[in-house]
Amino acid sequence: MQATDSLREDLQYVTSAVRQHDRTVGIPVIYYLWAAIVLVGYALPDFAARLAGPFWFVAGFGGGLLSWWLASRDEKRRGVIDRATGRRWGLHWVIGGVGFLLSALPMVTGHVDPAFGATTFLLTGGLIYAFAGVHLERPMLWSGLIMLAAYAVLVIFAPPYVWTISGIVIAFALCWAGVAAQRQRRPVMS
Amino acid sequence: MKALDDLVPVFEHRARLAIGVLLAGRGEISFSRFKAQLELTDGNLGAQLRKLEDAGCIALRRDFVDRKPVTWYSLTKAGRKLLDQHLHALQAMIAETAG
Repeated sequence: MQATDSLREDLQYVTSAVRQHDRTVGIPVIYYLWAAIVLVGYALPDFAARLAGPFWFVAGFGGGLLSWWLASRDEKRRGVIDRATGRRWGLHWVIGGVGFLLSALPMVTGHVDPAFGATTFLLTGGLIYAFAGVHLERPMLWSGLIMLAAYAVLVIFAPPYVWTISGIVIAFALCWAGVAAQRQRRPVMS
Repeated sequence: MKALDDLVPVFEHRARLAIGVLLAGRGEISFSRFKAQLELTDGNLGAQLRKLEDAGCIALRRDFVDRKPVTWYSLTKAGRKLLDQHLHALQAMIAETAG
């Protein structure tokens, strides 16, 4: 009986250590970075539509690379290098990037009016963020759902400044996720 | 009980088992991270890691992060095999006790 109790205690110790390790709350600075990018990038279609494409091309790739570098630095500082999860994130965003490029295809080929077709980016972005929230990091789910709701509002009602309003709401959701992540993270120095 | 024979002595200590399980789920983990995660003293953790290293279960790599020296640990192929064997033996023991 003593051996069974000892085994139970050992397994409880291991389980507790593993559960503590499994929490993924995200990297606050990456949420803030994308909140800033989204805030500017989503206001552009309403106020300077011609700049929106070049801005997203530069900020999308630049922000992606910066996020990758920030995530890698954070991993080293927190003392866990998880290559399998890193590969999953990489694959997720590469597929997301391809999705964004394909969203532009109907407009580039002239089959869809850019004024209407641009909303497809919101749908694609919403799906990419929502799936990241489901499979990788939960706080991203809310930003994704807001994007999907904004897409529906934009397509059905076509109200003014929906891009800007969506950007503000998404940026708020990302900042909220960043603050939540900051509170949950325990400082662990390498 | 056959399961008892299959237990791997180096993983019979709970801290060493936790180290093995944590490394199996991740690529590399630093000494400081283990210390915080397992709530062990430097001396105790160092001794447990040394036993796993001596048994060929883990490998270490030294690096600098923010100009501070960091030791990273990873599970070797042999270590993963032995950990699997130990976990299967534990499962069998629990099943036999429950049955």
